[in-house]
Amino acid sequence: MLEIIAETLRATIAVGLILAGILAILIWVRNLTRKLSALRLFIQIVSVAVIFLGLIIGPFGLDQWAYLGSAPKDVVIGTNILGRPYPDGLAVPTFACYYASGRTTTCVVWQLQSYIFPDYETSSVYLTTGLERLAIAFGLLVVMSLIFGRFLCGWICPFGLYMDLLTRLRKALKIRHWTLSERVNEGLRQARYLIIAAFLILSVILGMRAIAGIELISETELGRYLEIPFCQICPAKPLFVLAESGLGYMNLDYALSRTMGDFALTGWYLTSINIIILGVVTGGSFMVRRLWCRICPLGGLIALFSRVGPFKRLSLIKLTKVEEKCTKCGICKRVCPPQVTKVYEEKGGDVTASDCILCFRCVEMCPYEGCLKVEVAGKPIYKSKNWLKEEE
Amino acid sequence: MASEIETGSKYIPEMAQKEIEELGSSIKAASIKVIEDNIERMKKTWKNRAKSMEYFDEISNLFGQREKEIREQKEVGKKVIGYSCIFAPIELILAADAIPVRIGSGWYDTAKLGDRIMPVEICPVIRSTVGAKMVRLSPYLELSDAIIMPLTCDGRTKLSEILSDYKPIWYMNPPRVKDDPHTLTMWKEEIQVIKEKIEKLTGNKITRQKLRESIETMQKATKAFRRLQDLRKGSPVINGRDAMLVNQTSLWDDIERWTQKVNELCDELEKRVEQKEYSSHPDTPRVMLTGTPMLWPDSWKVPNLIEESNPQGVVVVDEQCSGDRVLYDPVGVDEWIMSDMLAAVGERYLMACTCPCFTSEHGNEDRINWIIDRIKEYKVDGVIYYVVRGCILYAMEYARIKRVLDKMNIPVYYLDTEYTREDVGQMKTRVEAFLEMLEARIDI
Repeated sequence: MLEIIAETLRATIAVGLILAGILAILIWVRNLTRKLSALRLFIQIVSVAVIFLGLIIGPFGLDQWAYLGSAPKDVVIGTNILGRPYPDGLAVPTFACYYASGRTTTCVVWQLQSYIFPDYETSSVYLTTGLERLAIAFGLLVVMSLIFGRFLCGWICPFGLYMDLLTRLRKALKIRHWTLSERVNEGLRQARYLIIAAFLILSVILGMRAIAGIELISETELGRYLEIPFCQICPAKPLFVLAESGLGYMNLDYALSRTMGDFALTGWYLTSINIIILGVVTGGSFMVRRLWCRICPLGGLIALFSRVGPFKRLSLIKLTKVEEKCTKCGICKRVCPPQVTKVYEEKGGDVTASDCILCFRCVEMCPYEGCLKVEVAGKPIYKSKNWLKEEE
Repeated sequence: MASEIETGSKYIPEMAQKEIEELGSSIKAASIKVIEDNIERMKKTWKNRAKSMEYFDEISNLFGQREKEIREQKEVGKKVIGYSCIFAPIELILAADAIPVRIGSGWYDTAKLGDRIMPVEICPVIRSTVGAKMVRLSPYLELSDAIIMPLTCDGRTKLSEILSDYKPIWYMNPPRVKDDPHTLTMWKEEIQVIKEKIEKLTGNKITRQKLRESIETMQKATKAFRRLQDLRKGSPVINGRDAMLVNQTSLWDDIERWTQKVNELCDELEKRVEQKEYSSHPDTPRVMLTGTPMLWPDSWKVPNLIEESNPQGVVVVDEQCSGDRVLYDPVGVDEWIMSDMLAAVGERYLMACTCPCFTSEHGNEDRINWIIDRIKEYKVDGVIYYVVRGCILYAMEYARIKRVLDKMNIPVYYLDTEYTREDVGQMKTRVEAFLEMLEARIDI
């Protein structure tokens, strides 16, 4: 028991020190990041560092999977809740991929799909039963969606940073982005919910033993069939696994060892579908800004709990517009990475769209003082201003 | 048979050289007198007029320093590109090292000349421009190597035909509905075509770097313009006429020098704000002008009336494509890449524009919003809706705007006039009655 308390204390101190350091750097670079997009890039990099903190500070005295090289698996924050391991970390609605080493939190999509599996139900190592953890993950998804909404997509998500870096590369090469037609965008928007429905239904079918004690497909267990179905098509998984393998944190041979072969045996670390989709998304988001965000089912889930029906009123961060200050110059529409048109089209009031990743690029670029506003719980924290003034 | 009829005949009948010279010089002399008279009257109303205004007085002389400069630069090989209305992309002209000048005409005397070939129902701005062309009065029109003609209102559409007898005309076809996606595509193509034409005429290629510089030049001008506008929001430190003149000189002045001079003026005025040295009494009714463009020098008759009448009014803001709308919107570039910059320039001229030539099922709501915002921002007491006879678009929008202003409890006065000095006396009574009413409302 004492050991655990000591561990927790050490972890707390380490995290505290890191946060203090980040804060100091933030204050230091504030002058450099007066432009919002620069500040956003900085925060994105910081959050990637926090999400994969384990790669920096090491295994921290905890167990690790030997065959994945020297990297710590999982475990930093949320490990010892009430003295028992909670190895996947708390669920955060961003692509903090489960399959990569050294992360401090875990993507909520993975948690939603995997905790219905029987293995989690019966395990004695873990604090809670699978279904309890499922409830925790779902609760965190709803709460974080309400608090942050898709701010997580624009400012925290590591895969978002990857796409933004591709965009910056394209800009440096002086190539103009492609714009997708409104019809295609609408199609992608609808497809998000189809993907959510598909992976949830598949997960439930595969996890029937845990839920109801019935086995719909025989031998449904981890490592077989399309378990964790969404992760097998997600472009983030191969990105992180390949990047960490390249950096020497993971063992590529192991990661690749189950890539090929029987199609039904989709593999654990990398699958062929994974790599193909990553290739397509990489190429696509080089030319189209934030391409994946338009179809991202996680983004769809966050949007569901922050932009739809009663959640819309409860969500904390909102983008608002003052109708009469708008001259409809169209800048907001043109600069928007996921090509949201609602900010331009809506007359005024709350203009947060389900596609909006709250990157606030439109607020930064709107040349009319006080026309667009970012409101947190009804209080404006950032307003569009006459950005011409800044050049001095 | 058909060949006997001359189909390509010109609009304007040939005039004897002597007549042109005589009429031209007499109108020119009258015009210089009007300019001087206007400046004199501005000085009289604004007792301690800012020193920096002297520059604008000088540049306001249409036949003075600026004409000479343009002539000199033309001799060196620079091209002059005229444009008739605010849809013309100035950034592209500047990027090709050409000189942009606006050719709209505000001379009353030339409007009478225009009557010779056009019925009086036609908008006097058009008649006046035609008249100016007949006697070669306007130096900027004469000096331009080509004229960009956005076909916005019917008057300008046909004016382009008339002027094409003399100058190469580059048409621009702005769509009448802004919001359809395909209209924007079409407009972007127009911008592309104009860019190629400018490049061909000047022989200078519009490069990425050049365009970026010119966009930034115009952004600086917008910045200076907004600085001046911000000063007009408080108690008046500059009279409306003077500010209108400053804004209007940007249409023919060298834009970089203009920016610098406006900043100097703002420095001076900002000091005056601190010292509470007002140009008019702080309680003077604050008036907004909207409607047909008011072009220097003769159209100054309305602002002259407002600011010289008893009780006095002060024009704090206008919604005219000859004034506050010219520089208000900046080009917002997302990626400094040629195609994105062109898209940004195109959108700035089409989307941000509140010209009544646009329509939609919700009416020209951009313009209505513009007016509502200005009324709130500049604490406007009353609106004068200025329309010249024949300006159909502005006249037709009056009904809708009046309803909006009625809801806001802002008095609006519909001032219809002509390019003539004869109605000044009668107009004076009407404007004074309106201002008296505004003053009474303030007192309450």
